[in-house]
Amino acid sequence: MKVNPNFLKEVKKYGAFDISKCFNCGNCTAICPLSAQDASFPRKMIRYAQVGAEKEIESSLEPWLCYYCGECSDTCPRQAYPGEFMMTLRRYLIAKYDLTGISAFFYRFPWVQNLLTIGIFAVSLAFFLSYTGDFQELAAKIELAFPVYVTLAIAAYVFTFYRKTILEKAKKFVLSINFSNIKETLIHGLTQKNFAGCSDTDWTRWIAHLFVMSGYTLTLVISNLHLLEPLKVQYSVSEFRTFLVFYAASAIILGGFIMMFRRAAKKVQSSSFSHSSDWLFVIMLFLIGLSTLSAHISNIILGPEDKIVELLYKLNIAVEVAWIIVIVPFTKWIHIFFRPMAVYLRNLKKEEAEGKALAFSLPFIK
Amino acid sequence: MSENLTEKEHTVNENYRQKPRVAVYVCHCGGNISDVIDVKRVAQELSKYPNVAVSREYAFMCSSTGQDYIVDDIRNNGINRVVVAACSPALHELTFRGALSRAGLNPYLYEHVNIREQSSWVHKNDKEGATVKAIALIKAGVEKILRQDPLNSIRVEAVHAAAVIGGGIAGMRAALSCADNGLEAVIIEKSDSLGGNLNRKGKVYPSNRQAFEVAGELSKKVLSNPNIKVYLNSEISFVGGYVGNFQVNGKKSDGKFEKVKAGAIIMATGFDHYKPQKGEYGAGLSDMVITLPQFESVFEDLDGKKFIFGGREISSVAFMHCVGSRQIDGLDKPGKNGKVNDYCSRICCTAAISAANRLKEKFPETAIYDIYTDMRTYGMEHEEYYKSASENDIIFFRRPLEERPQVEIKEGKIHIKTRDILTMNEEMEIETDLLVLSTGLMPRDISDLVEYMKLPKSADGFLQEVHPKLRPVECANNGIFLAGTVQGPMDIRETLQAANTAAVKAAALLSAPDIPLDPFVAVVDEDKCTGCGLCPAECSYEGALVMTEKDVKGKKKKVACVNPALCKGCGACAAVCQPRAINVAGWTLDQFDAMVEAIAKE
Repeated sequence: MKVNPNFLKEVKKYGAFDISKCFNCGNCTAICPLSAQDASFPRKMIRYAQVGAEKEIESSLEPWLCYYCGECSDTCPRQAYPGEFMMTLRRYLIAKYDLTGISAFFYRFPWVQNLLTIGIFAVSLAFFLSYTGDFQELAAKIELAFPVYVTLAIAAYVFTFYRKTILEKAKKFVLSINFSNIKETLIHGLTQKNFAGCSDTDWTRWIAHLFVMSGYTLTLVISNLHLLEPLKVQYSVSEFRTFLVFYAASAIILGGFIMMFRRAAKKVQSSSFSHSSDWLFVIMLFLIGLSTLSAHISNIILGPEDKIVELLYKLNIAVEVAWIIVIVPFTKWIHIFFRPMAVYLRNLKKEEAEGKALAFSLPFIK
Repeated sequence: MSENLTEKEHTVNENYRQKPRVAVYVCHCGGNISDVIDVKRVAQELSKYPNVAVSREYAFMCSSTGQDYIVDDIRNNGINRVVVAACSPALHELTFRGALSRAGLNPYLYEHVNIREQSSWVHKNDKEGATVKAIALIKAGVEKILRQDPLNSIRVEAVHAAAVIGGGIAGMRAALSCADNGLEAVIIEKSDSLGGNLNRKGKVYPSNRQAFEVAGELSKKVLSNPNIKVYLNSEISFVGGYVGNFQVNGKKSDGKFEKVKAGAIIMATGFDHYKPQKGEYGAGLSDMVITLPQFESVFEDLDGKKFIFGGREISSVAFMHCVGSRQIDGLDKPGKNGKVNDYCSRICCTAAISAANRLKEKFPETAIYDIYTDMRTYGMEHEEYYKSASENDIIFFRRPLEERPQVEIKEGKIHIKTRDILTMNEEMEIETDLLVLSTGLMPRDISDLVEYMKLPKSADGFLQEVHPKLRPVECANNGIFLAGTVQGPMDIRETLQAANTAAVKAAALLSAPDIPLDPFVAVVDEDKCTGCGLCPAECSYEGALVMTEKDVKGKKKKVACVNPALCKGCGACAAVCQPRAINVAGWTLDQFDAMVEAIAKE
């Protein structure tokens, strides 16, 4: 393994200022309830970073199997904050897997992402407010464009992730069609069950996460299927759509509020070191929930013709535009996909080692 | 030598003339003995033994209550000889001799029988056997003490000066402390200046001061001290004499000094840096492979923004630990003495790390690698160096002790391959501009001095102290003390501490006008001596035993004559003397006969 002394400097640009203090004792790995024989962390990851084993880092699933309970940081005899290092690695990997290089740029110059978000929000809102045509129609088109844009971004990420972690090592396409693996992956994706693997389960964090995740997914569905037309239709309290919107929006608001509160309070390791992108992510989510909910409630009370409803709806769409363009494809958002994928790929690796995975080679991959 | 007894010694000598009344004490040693040996039975058995007036057993004889039994029995029960059956005499013989003295009895009328190491501990599973053995051993002890003469310590007059051999920091510190304690000190230094290994550029931990400054400050104090004499450029041709009366002769050719008389000798000859053999970790294969002392001397002169060495800009430096230390037979080439250095040199870890930190401070852009075996930055605050080194992004590699990193030079770059325990035992490839070998400490070749003084050496080739805990810095040769790295690898702080200790021991030894020595030396019965001359031939201590013409009861006669100051009491002379004319006081052949008899009786 070739030693590269400059690699750690690169990683440090994404956080983890204290990781140099690590003297490789391994207490972090010993205390970690999620670290396992085939996925050993944080020590191994820290060591790879220290000696500059770039390839090993970029092909590892471990960062996504860590759920940052923070026990390692509490136990570290050198105050090197291994938990925060794992978080940093996730940022680093997203930056590396982002083929456009924009995530790397945003992580290093977070104010650009912040300004862009505000800028795009302001421009869209100004445009929407001055728009004289049928805004409901325009909103429908915008919401139709979202899934195309997002799917492209996700596909690029997912393929890069697969290429770095599996393809470059196995030199062939392998897939797992094992039912239990697919089931496990889905369960993890939907419930973040790994949170319970941390020995003192941080229930508040898990529940806040679940709220935000389920609320956000539901919002995606509502918006992508263009289920709401608040400028045309008068909704009532008792209908099913209202129930969906109420759940989705309040879950995001409640979960987002808890997250913001915890990041501000810095009482536990996992929310002690917030990167600017973490704040932006949670604040924007919170605003999506808030604008969706207020637009819907005002529609129920005031009806689709009302100016206030129109304003709130335009605000809602403007927030979503900024969110989709600047936040979803860059920095933190993709972790929603990477986490369950890591579970899937870890099982795939096992199956491949046992020769049970579905494998097919392609001529252009050597 | 003075034959005069002190007043106290005179009074305590009287009671041995009375009929012997022996007291026997059997110690439980808090269960160490009594869990195996039936101590009640032992005491009872001994109470019936001839000449035993008192026989007791007690939980801890060494406690003040235990000792009070002895004092009380001597004072009130007419006891005039004492046997304690307990632990090893190395532990408490002196304790109980003290009790006898306090009670007014000659302290040598005491016999210590070891029934712990020699019976209860080794015969744990045979309680009966252990008890019987203890009884036999104690009976032998009683027989021995019945035949014991009251002895008095031997006193020799002493010269109130210390000869300090070596003028490095150890020698200078020792001389200064001798002077502070009222002794005259003479430093005999081979080279042309004081300071030794510290006479060089380069900073030393933990003060981060220049080495030559530290040496210079000490030498200024030494040279201005009226009680210290310094001989430079001086080599020693002979050392003779004994504790209190040593004589150190100089090589006359240089004319510096002829003779130094001293009551004590402090050995402060220091160490040599290990010189790597050609090819060892790349040494000699490139100018870019240097030792840590070489690095230090170059590094201090560097200034500017770039690290230029050998005409090249250095952007990466690797430090290699354990070069010439912790070597393994068969893996490393043996040195001149045919042996590998398997000891840890102790200072090189901290020295290398401290150098790496200074390098990082001066040239922050340099990539620094550190290949170690075990990080031994022991000692007050030294761990801080290690800590700041990792904070400085120095990359550490831990190699297995039994593997040697491979060093190759390719296109002017140094390529190191090493297995790294920290990276899950993978083989790492490191490319670096400069490789610094953190070399260890070697014993300096002082074979002539060792020969003159018959100094004991450890397996590592350094001089050996009697016991690292019980008698540190003391040489087995009475009156000779070890200061600093002559005794083993030490850092500067430890060297100075050892030097101080040696000086204080020398001062304590020479504090009275004469020196008391143990009386267990050979004694000649001149009536019986036939003058055959067999015994001096057996004696291994020069001057301890000689044949002389003497006036014995009016007749001129050739007899053996002992110098008690030089005699070590080994008994080699007694073994060859057929008429039993020579005996070791306190361990006479008659005593041995009686002991064997007592043990063999049943």
